[in-house]
Amino acid sequence: MADANSGWSRTLLWGAVTAILYLGVFAYADDVIRFARTTTDACVVGAGAEAVYYSKPTPEACAEKGGTMVQGNWLLVFLPILIAFAISYVHGAFTSNFWDSVGLRAASKKK
Amino acid sequence: MELIQFVQLDTTSVILLILIGFVGGLVSGFIGSGGAFVLTPAMMTLGAPGIVAVASNICHKFPKALVGAVKRHKYGQVDVKLGLIMGAFAEMGILYGKHLMTGIKDQFGAVGTDLYVSAIFVVVLAIVGGFVFRDYLKLKSQPHSDEHQLTKLAKWVHSVHIPGTMVYFPGANAHISLLFIAPMGFATGLLASSIAVGGFIGVPAMIYIFGVPAIMASATELVIAFVMGLGGTMFYGLEGVVDLRLAMLILLGSLFGIQLGAIGTTYVKDYQVKLTMAVIMITVLFSRIFYIPGYLSKLHLIEPMQESTVRTLKMIGDGVLALALILGAATVLTALVKGMAEHRKQHEVLTESEGIAQ
Repeated sequence: MADANSGWSRTLLWGAVTAILYLGVFAYADDVIRFARTTTDACVVGAGAEAVYYSKPTPEACAEKGGTMVQGNWLLVFLPILIAFAISYVHGAFTSNFWDSVGLRAASKKK
Repeated sequence: MELIQFVQLDTTSVILLILIGFVGGLVSGFIGSGGAFVLTPAMMTLGAPGIVAVASNICHKFPKALVGAVKRHKYGQVDVKLGLIMGAFAEMGILYGKHLMTGIKDQFGAVGTDLYVSAIFVVVLAIVGGFVFRDYLKLKSQPHSDEHQLTKLAKWVHSVHIPGTMVYFPGANAHISLLFIAPMGFATGLLASSIAVGGFIGVPAMIYIFGVPAIMASATELVIAFVMGLGGTMFYGLEGVVDLRLAMLILLGSLFGIQLGAIGTTYVKDYQVKLTMAVIMITVLFSRIFYIPGYLSKLHLIEPMQESTVRTLKMIGDGVLALALILGAATVLTALVKGMAEHRKQHEVLTESEGIAQ
């Protein structure tokens, strides 16, 4: 019984951390998109959720669209890698504990 | 200037992406290969351009591959040296494939990448689906025919000695020339950067050409997938086409599904796994066929079609893909529930007979 309880406690703990990470990504979804789209120079038309990103921009074409030129930063490419790693690790631990707590386990012997 | 749009996410598309990820994970865990052959087309169906779907899929896969590789390394199933060397060549394939994809994007726009990804899917799924179906028929008639035996090709590869290129691989228990490893690794990466599924080349190559046992090949593929995924995310990230929201939503469902699918395999016979794999592959293949005329028409490569005809074909394609997803989920879950019930029954009978014997 104590084992089952500690299993669920672990599951809830990993679940809470997973939820926080996901909430973080989606609360800042506009920034997440902006970072993804500006690893190279871009022309941004509009703002927030409505922003449209053009790649390979020229100042003239960008001005014609009423957009703003943004200088690219290639280091931003590491951001999705770090976030994907963090979420994958935490969420993986959560789901593994979840199925264990629910009682779903692999068969002891393959047929 | 180029415009590659990310998908607008609303509640329905978020729920759909999580469900698609779950089914992709189920299928992936069940058949022991990446579920990207379901996920990439599904992301495209929701409106992601081909290049974004492939890039985001690669991003969602690589951390999962690392976790899987570490786990299976503990069971002694990974040939790390083979994985890293093939991974290095695969990285070159990824770079070249990304170059091809961005070339198509630059020349034909997002629709060009849709057509490119779909056409490769149709060809690859037809070939791989056909082979898997043949394996199913073979396994059903001779249940033990999958026991590890070196193919004639693998024996020949082991016998070739090219000075200065030979490396010992414990997985194959043989010295193999890097001149054989290089093209296979490159092709694996090229395919991965085109449709986000490299294992369709990597795993059979390791089994049939290098003579690596199947269980070790699928585990070693996880190392290659990690190396390729890391590089692929960076290369595509530099093009600004990795949509982390899509990747993380797919991952949310996928990690639940993958473990359930993997548990499912321990309750079913190998030929059932092969049949599931073949049926899903062929259904996904047919779904992609319906989109191709629309892409060709948009690119003016055929007589322009009426918008209503393109829409109808897309709806049929969506329907067939939905069928593939439902079929995949239903097959895996039914196998799991049935298998668990049978396992429990056998366990009860065993316990009872042990009780009588005492």
